Amino acid sequence: MPRGMFKSGRLRKIFVRTPGGKNVVHYRQRKPSKAICGNCKKQLAGVPRELPAKMANMPKTAKRPERKYGGVLCSACTRNLLQEKARGEAQ
Amino acid sequence: MSLFEVGRLCLKIAGRDAGRKCVIVENVGEGYVVVDGSTRRKKVNIKHLEPLSEMVELKDKAGHEDVKKAFEKLGLKVWDKKSKKVSERPKKVKKVKPKKEVKAKPKKEAAKEEVNKETSLKKEKAEKKPEAKTETKAEKEVEAPMEA
Repeated sequence: MPRGMFKSGRLRKIFVRTPGGKNVVHYRQRKPSKAICGNCKKQLAGVPRELPAKMANMPKTAKRPERKYGGVLCSACTRNLLQEKARGEAQ
Repeated sequence: MSLFEVGRLCLKIAGRDAGRKCVIVENVGEGYVVVDGSTRRKKVNIKHLEPLSEMVELKDKAGHEDVKKAFEKLGLKVWDKKSKKVSERPKKVKKVKPKKEVKAKPKKEAAKEEVNKETSLKKEKAEKKPEAKTETKAEKEVEAPMEA
């Protein structure tokens, strides 16, 4: 039987075939959910789906698009937002 | 007349420069325009621009300096190209410490030689060396059984 901490489903299972021919269960941390747009909830492009420890070691430019609202809003929503702002100022 | 004429102040909506203001400098045609200002000087699709109500007095195909002057009047910052400076390779500097040691050793040797000359002939030197070796061997032999 697995230990209690492994039964909760917090960790994902990986079945590994050992050199002795046994099938063994390894446990690994689950990846975080995919990054989504704050406005339309679409998946964001250019934002990697990695563990926090890996993300911390990555350069900033590899973690999000180098654009205003990059990593928060999708490109289409950014465009709409900026357009609305520009038109609001004109009036 | 389209809105996208030379001198029109625009907001960049798409890409890396999104959210920055720029001025149309030249009309390339086929929906493309050359833009300069707080963005990079670039050929840009009209679809990526939002025209603003303001206009700037500019010649057709105006240079970066003219745009800079016009933008300073408006109180906007201009994106300046930062040309990279080539840094020199760090030269390997030899450490000074070993040199000092090299200088120090000969002095000691010289001192030893002087002492030897005073005390006895060179033959004694030869005798001393084998003695030292035998001593070390004897020590090793003593140590070995201890370990075993």
